Formats: sequence, C-alpha cells, structure tokens
Amino acid sequence: MAEVVLRRLLATVPVLLLVTAGVFALLHLTPGDPVDAMMAESADASTKESLRRELGLDRPIAEQYAAWMGRLLRGDLGRSIRNGEPVLENVSRRIRPSLQLALLAMAIALTIAFPVAIASAVRHNTGVDRLGTTFALFGICMPNFLLALLLIFVFGVTLRWLPISGYLDPLEEGWSGLRSLILPAVTLGLALAAVITRTLRSSLLEALAEDYVRTARAKGLSEWVVIRGHVLKNALIPVVTVLGLQLGTLIGGAVITEYVFALPGIGRLVVDAVFARDYPLVQGVILLIALGFIVSNLLVDLLYGYIDPRIRLR
Amino acid sequence: MDTSTRASVFADPAPAVSDRRWDALRRAARARLAPFGAAVLLAAIVVALAAPLLSPYDPLAQDLGNVLARPGRGHWLGTDNVGRDVLSRVIWGTRVSLVAGFVSVAIAAAAGSVLGMLAGYAGGRADGVVMRLMDAVLSLPPLVLALALGAVLGAGLTGVLLALGVVYTPAFARLMRGQVLSVKTRDYVEAARALGASGWWIARRHVLPNAATPIVVQASLSVAFAILAEASLSFLGLGIQPPAASWGSMINAGRGYLQQAPWIVFGPGAALFVTVVGLNFVGDAIRDGLDPRLRG
Amino acid sequence: MVTRRDFVKSCAVASGAAVVGLRPGAAAAADAPKKGGTLRVGFYIEAATMDPHLSGSKVDRQVYHNIYEPLVTLDTRLGIKPGLAESWSQPDPKTLVFKLRRGVKFHDGTDFNAEAAKFNFDRMKTEPKSIRKGEVANIDTVEVVDAATIKVNLKKADASLLATLTDRAGMMISPKVVQERGVELGRNAKGAGTGPFEFVEWVKDDHLLIKRNESYWNKQGGPYLERVRYRPIPDDTVKLQSLQGGEIDVIDYVQPRDVAAVKTDKNVMVVDVPSLADFAYQLNHGRPPFNVKALRQAVAYAIDLEQIVKGVWLNVGYPANGPIPPTSWAYDKAIPPIKRDLAKVKARLAEGGKPGGFEFTMTTNNIPLSVQEAEVIQAQLREAGITMKIRLVDASTLIFDGNAKNFEMISFQWSGRPDPDGNVYQFFKTTPGTSFNWSGISHPPLDALLDRSREVSAQAERKKIFSEVTKILQDELPMIFIVHPIEPKAFSQRVQGYEAIPDGMMRFKDVWLK
Repeated sequence: MAEVVLRRLLATVPVLLLVTAGVFALLHLTPGDPVDAMMAESADASTKESLRRELGLDRPIAEQYAAWMGRLLRGDLGRSIRNGEPVLENVSRRIRPSLQLALLAMAIALTIAFPVAIASAVRHNTGVDRLGTTFALFGICMPNFLLALLLIFVFGVTLRWLPISGYLDPLEEGWSGLRSLILPAVTLGLALAAVITRTLRSSLLEALAEDYVRTARAKGLSEWVVIRGHVLKNALIPVVTVLGLQLGTLIGGAVITEYVFALPGIGRLVVDAVFARDYPLVQGVILLIALGFIVSNLLVDLLYGYIDPRIRLR
Repeated sequence: MDTSTRASVFADPAPAVSDRRWDALRRAARARLAPFGAAVLLAAIVVALAAPLLSPYDPLAQDLGNVLARPGRGHWLGTDNVGRDVLSRVIWGTRVSLVAGFVSVAIAAAAGSVLGMLAGYAGGRADGVVMRLMDAVLSLPPLVLALALGAVLGAGLTGVLLALGVVYTPAFARLMRGQVLSVKTRDYVEAARALGASGWWIARRHVLPNAATPIVVQASLSVAFAILAEASLSFLGLGIQPPAASWGSMINAGRGYLQQAPWIVFGPGAALFVTVVGLNFVGDAIRDGLDPRLRG
Repeated sequence: MVTRRDFVKSCAVASGAAVVGLRPGAAAAADAPKKGGTLRVGFYIEAATMDPHLSGSKVDRQVYHNIYEPLVTLDTRLGIKPGLAESWSQPDPKTLVFKLRRGVKFHDGTDFNAEAAKFNFDRMKTEPKSIRKGEVANIDTVEVVDAATIKVNLKKADASLLATLTDRAGMMISPKVVQERGVELGRNAKGAGTGPFEFVEWVKDDHLLIKRNESYWNKQGGPYLERVRYRPIPDDTVKLQSLQGGEIDVIDYVQPRDVAAVKTDKNVMVVDVPSLADFAYQLNHGRPPFNVKALRQAVAYAIDLEQIVKGVWLNVGYPANGPIPPTSWAYDKAIPPIKRDLAKVKARLAEGGKPGGFEFTMTTNNIPLSVQEAEVIQAQLREAGITMKIRLVDASTLIFDGNAKNFEMISFQWSGRPDPDGNVYQFFKTTPGTSFNWSGISHPPLDALLDRSREVSAQAERKKIFSEVTKILQDELPMIFIVHPIEPKAFSQRVQGYEAIPDGMMRFKDVWLK
C-alpha cells in the first residue's frame, strides 16, 4: 500500500513541474509586470528599474524559473510582490473563508441531495422521481453567477433579509458570520446538490437492482430498512468520490461566487494576483491548489480502493 | 496470404455501424424530455441564424434618452444602460453562445482525440508525457486557467474559444486513449497487426467507430458547459469585445443595475438557462440513445 | 457647458454647507460634537502599505491623512494652509524656509522637530524603494537651521512643490520608528505619525483600525471619534448596499449610475465632491493614424462631450476643456470644451487625407464605466464616418501598453494633484524614454510654457500660462479630454462634521457620530 502511495506521489512530480512551468510561462507572456501595476501613478523610470532589479524581473525567464524552483526546494514559496508578505501567509489568511464556504456549501448540498436522491430512487419513475431529476438538472444547468445574482436580488435587495457584503468569520462573529456566508454557500451548495443528487440516485438505483436487495425485499423488510441497512453504504461510494473531487474545485474554483459576494477567498486571491501580475503569489497559490487537488484525488482513490476491494489500486 | 482471408480477419465483428446508429436514434427519441431539448436547440439555432430578421432593433443602436427603460410595448425586455434594446441583444447573443459552445468543444474534441490516440498508440514515454500534460491541465481550476490563457491570447472571442478548447481537451484525450487501449488488446486487432495492418488503418477501421460513441456523448454534454463557461469568462470581463453582446457580458454589465433594472440581468440569464437546460436534455438523450448502459 | 452657477453651488456643498453638517440649512447649534463611537469606512480596495514614502496607491493616502500629517495642507479651495509647518517663506526662488510647529510629538512619544523633518526628506530621496523620489527630485538638500526651522534648497525654482508637500511627500514619519522597524513599517505603523488618529492594527483583507490620539497637538475641534475602522469592499454594489443596510457608515465613492437613486434614500447622505481628476484618451503621435494632426482633430470634433457626461456619467462630472479641473484656481472657464461639429469633422478628414473616414483601435480598461463610455464614443464616431474598434484590457496591460506606446488611442485616468502642474507637466513635456507622456508629444512652445509655469510663483501669472497651455493642448491634442469626474461620497445619517476637500481625501479629524 505504502509503495503504491509513494509511486503515485512520485508520478505527480512531473505533473506539478508542468503546471508550474506552464503557469510561469503564461504569466510572463502576458503584457505588463507587477512593478507597472504597483506604481501605476508614477512614471519614475529609475525607481521602477531598481525595483525590477531587486525582484529579479530583469533576468531571462528560464533563470527566474530556476531561481523560483531553487527557493521552492528549500521550502520557500516566496513573497507576494504587492504586499511583501510570504505567499504561505497570504494563502493561510484566505483559505479560511474558502474552507468555511466549501464546508457550508457541502453541508447544504448533502442536506438537500440525500432526501431528494433517496426519494427519487425509491419512487423510481414516478412524479417524485421526475421532480427530483428535474431539480438536479436545473441545478447543474444554472450558471452560478446567475444564481448568485438571483439570490442577491431576492434576499438581499428585495427582502433585505441577508447581508450581501463581504465576510465575517463565523468562528469569531458567530451568527453574523454565518449569515454572511449563507447566500454564497447556497449558491455553491445548490449546484453541488444537483451533482450529488444525480450520482447518488443512479448509484442507489444500481444498488437497488442487486440480488441481495431482492432477497431482503423477499424477506419482507420495508423499503426504508433495505435502503438504510444495505444499499446506502454501497451507494455512498461514488458520492464520496464526487465530494472529494468537488472539494478541490470548491476551494480553488469558487472564483465567481467569491467575486459576486466579495468574499476574501483563495479563488479571488489568484485572480486578483493574475490581474496584478503578482508572479510569486500566482505561482505559489496555483502550486498549492494543484497539489491539493492531486492529493485529494489520491485520497479518494485510496478510499475507494479500501471500501471496495474490487477496485483496489494496482 | 490470399485476399479473402485477409478481408475476413479484418471484417468488423460488431454489427454494422449504420444499424447501431438507427437503433440509437430510436432509443434517443424515446427518452423523456428529448423533444423539449430538441425544440430548444432548434429554436436556438434558428434564432442565431435568423438574428438579423428576428431582432426588432439594431443591437448596437444606442438611445441615451431612453436608458434603463422598463420592459414594455416598444421594448419587450426593456433597454440597457445606454438605451440599447435588451431583446435584440439577447437574440444576437445567441450566435456568440452557440459558436462558443460548439466551436470550443469541437476544438477540444479534435485536439483531445489526436492526443489520446497518440498516447494510446505510442505508449511508453509519449503516453506518459501526454497524460502528465493532461493531468497538469486538469489540476488547475478551469476558470483560472482560462483566465490566464485569455490574458495571453488577448481579448476577444477567439481567445475564449482557444482557452476553453484547452480546458476541455483532457477529458477527450483520456476518453480516446481509453478507447485505443481497449481496442488495441482485442484479438482481431492483434491479428490484424500480425498481418501487417498499419496503426493508421486500425485506427480508422476499429478505433474511431468505437470511440465515436463516447466522444459524441462527451461532446454533447460538454457543449452546454462550454456555453456556461463562455458566459462565466465574459462575466469576468474577458471574451467578447464590446459593443457586441454575449449573454455573459450582458449579465456582467447589468450587475450594477440589479436594483434599478433587473431585466438587463435576467433577460439574458433566462436565455442562458433555457438554452443550457435544453442542450442538457439533448445530451442526455444522445447518451441514453447511444449507450443504454450509461442510463441512470 | 458648466455654468458658473452650477460650479459655485457644488463648491458650496463641498465647503460651506458641509461644515455645518451635511444637510444645507441644518442648524449647527442643534448638535454639538459628541465624543466616541467607531466610524466604519468602506473602501474599494485594500491599502498596500503604511509607509508613505513607499506608497504608490491612492487608497493608502486615505488612511495616511488621518494618522500622518504633512508639513502643509489644503483647504476647501485648494489653497495651501499650515500643517506641521506653522509658516514658510521663500527668501529666493530656490530656497524654502519652513518654521515648524513646536510641541508636537509622534505617537511613539518622540518629538517632531527639524531633525525629524530632515530625516524624512533624506529618506525620500535616498531610500532605494522610495516612490517619492520623483516628487522631491527638485530638492537638493535640506538643512536644519534650528530645532524648529528647516531650510530646503532647490535645484531649480519650482512653484508646484508646496502643493506636492500637502500629500505623501510632505508627511512626517517618526525617525525612531523607521530606524527600529525598517521594512515592518509597511505593515505596522504604530507610533509612526503625528495625526489626530493613531494606528492600532491591520488585519489584511479584513480591516484596518486606527484610534483617537488623546495627546493630539491641535486642541481646536476634534478628534471626536473613538476609532475608525476601514474595510476593503471591492464591489461597488456591495459597498453601497452595506452602507444602505447600516453595516458601514462611510463609502468613498458612489458610482454615477447609483447616485440618483441613493440621493433619494433617506438613510444616506451624498456629498458631491468635485475632484482634481481628469479622464482622457491619449493619442499616439508616433504612429498612424494619429501622427496626422488633422485626423486627431477630426476625432475630437466627432466626439460629443456633453452627451458623454450626460449619458454615461449622468452629470456626475464636468465636460473637460483640458487637464485642469474646475476646482483648481488655474481653471480657465473662458476656454470652452471642444464642441461636436460634424462639418468640421469632414473638413479635417479631408485635410488629413482620409475624406472617406478611417479606422483605428481604442484600448481601454475593462471596467463597466469605461466600457460604456467607449461604446458611446464608438457610436458617435460612427455617425461621423470614423470606425473605431474597442480593445478591452486589464489594468496592468493598459499601463504596459501605455508606457510602451503600443496603442493608437488609449484610456488615461489621472486622479489629479492639487497643483495644476501635477495634471500637466509630466504628460506634455518632451520626454525621451518611458514616462506619462504616452502620446509622445514634443512641441517646443509647449515645453517652454511648461517650464515657465514652474519658475514663476505668482498665481495670476501662472494661471495665464496654464491658459496658454490649455489652448495649445486643444489644438495639438496629445489627449482628448473628456470629463472631470465628481467623486460622490456617501455617509449614514449619523455622520456629522465632514468637510469635503477636492483632493478626495477623507479626513476624519472633526467628524463625529450622532
């Protein structure tokens, strides 16, 4: 097992190299550099030049990349050019809102998806099922920025029940913090619920068609007991997979939601850094996101293999 | 070796592709909601093609004396912040969305298939390199990747199409590679190769027809998402250049007027939603039709 | 066309009425300032650094004007009044002598004196990362005459220097803090200033907190507020709705599209602050088509400024006749903004060798207002037979292309400086290499006028020079000037005592909460 994990991890190294090199190249191909962005209101050429020299921006690209790699291997992710703080600090500051949002969205998604999926599977091919699948379809098709604006319009503008401004940490501000996360979490959660509903429903249907279920039914057990006792556990496997994969997406990819609701999360950090050409920050965050994604993939695969011996990793 | 033996070995053991396609169509047509989806898709195509005829106003015509007008007799979806007719812009925006959806998926399918075949056939190092490349693309949040690509490729629809093409390529590459690998090991292929058939011939005769199904399924499901992705990119300010209209950029521009003129957001928003739902129905129907095993 | 009446009215709002409280006519006596409370302010972006010498961003200045103080400061008419310097004199054109206020202490307890002032000027000139270098380039040396007097020796006469010293270049930081804290000053400005408030903490991406300076030297008026809390809220709509919902008390900018609606909101007060800014489009004199003067003029005559200010800016701004805003003493209202004239367009097109019109690309920022303005201009030019394509880029790319002179027509939004020189000199003086002279204009008579405007110190004479400059600019067109925006600021009803100064900086010294 350990050998498999190690091999997989090693295999990710070239991927990470490609990711970082690719991002590096892309960034340096875009016109503009961080010094111009920082000193937007000053045309002082000599100060800009000395700043560039200090940041090593006047070196050839390959050399800059090598330097970055060198620092990385020593455990140094570098410093953001804009605020001078270590990349790790920037990330750790922004990861909290993203994590909280992701977890809350998942909680909402699961709360909605489970009952809907179970009801759909149990009442297969009836009106309930159609309702469930339609809901799932709508959830997948709804663009999340549109849903966000819709929620803002209804709950923020018209009814004025919920705040739409920025972020308050629920761990510190309690209920106010939670309120500030509700709308964005629902936006993300509904879309996620749709995906989970689909997956869970189809895996439930598959499991319900298995022989052992027919046996249980023949024994006279109620549908609900059947599901709870036997089917659910097995049907959960693909759901776990989906959740695991989605966690990575939720954290790094909730860019639009973070923008619309003005949340200081990782997604916006990356995008803002790209716009400001804050090279070290973009590199560092992308690396971490990619790493996180790869690790969560690996964990999901391992978990999958552990639960279902048929799919053990070779 | 005489030609008849060769031909029989090379004969396709599966039923003729044309028969399967007919079955598929029948199954697809039976799928629930397929008619609705097909209607939406047809409507979208018609609207896109006939935009100049259907659109009541010039989508670029500004009327600074009549900005943010409520939906009403003259303007069924109201006017935007420079007095342009929202309905006309939504109609013209259909072109952009459909082109973005279909073209970017076409690019991804083509590029992905080529890469996948290369990886599957060449095996070894080439396979490793190509797959690592695909993994690299996949491990980036798609929006960020598209953003970075867009910034390099320059603003405009072309940049968006290429960016989206790159983002969706790995899915197709993996699919194609999987197909190649599974077909590669089949007996009749081994035999064919033993008889000296070129990889290219095998690809055309066996791999492509078999791979066509999952590729088409993947493509049809991707188009809807590609349209959403283009809207998202336009929403963030990349993509279609003003004053042309794209549903995403209209929603973005209308964001600031949500309180005073929500129709600027919800007009194109509704169009986007309906189109994507319809396309999804069609995609599901195609999937159900072509591969009943996948049906949920 | 801005009528004199309109302008005076707006200045009255900005200066007179504001001091009384924000409702013109509200009796001052009814409400005496109360001490206490936390003012919650929403700004559009996060501050970048707390070190005024290294700062390049406008938001930083908003905080600085509350915790640091410059040697001299601005009044509501952009006149220069004493700050940390009690008085100043100019024995000869190349010497400035400042008499500094006595008894002023930095927040860390050390004294503000001539040594400290000299330290600051030296740091601005010699610190490698100092962004103030260009602003103090004309300063040769600073001498300590006695504990409360410094003598500033200039390289050349510079009439604009005093105005520059009303902002970051004149702000005094505690030398002890600089020496002890070094780079950390960027994040932690505890004890570093002399202002009515002192720095408490900065939690990035969340808030920046300052608190009342109990031992502030100026015993007249405030500070009344207990604390001021700044929050970055990048989204304009969210910012406004936070204010309307009572989550914050002050915002620094209301988008033109929201102004009319917000003015009807009873919970909120809007103060129109005419700014120093000028928004324009630079034309590249170095490449076709705008290397031909007639074609530049054709575009200028094809644009309808009135329609843009009315339709895009919703009259939250004034059509521009040049780079100098109406808030400045140097503004010449006798020079009208260029008026649309399609006949003249035809004539200029013919003169420029393109009687059938021509095509070019405009590069602009991808923010909604800029996009809207570009679209309107595109339609206006289309009517005149000129085809304009729009190229949207992000801010970094815009700056890059501008500096590299890689454009035909490019958007340029200058936030403005108190002295007209700050809106003029570096943009139109012949400058080889990279500079803000993106258009590349090189016009010797203009250069001569620009230099003279710095040498002459009498305001009346400088004003005449700037009028000449404006006339030349309208002819040579390195830029097509569009608008001088008004920066509406909005407050909750509880906020009292705000005095609006046209530099747009929000000083909270005399502000109190009901």
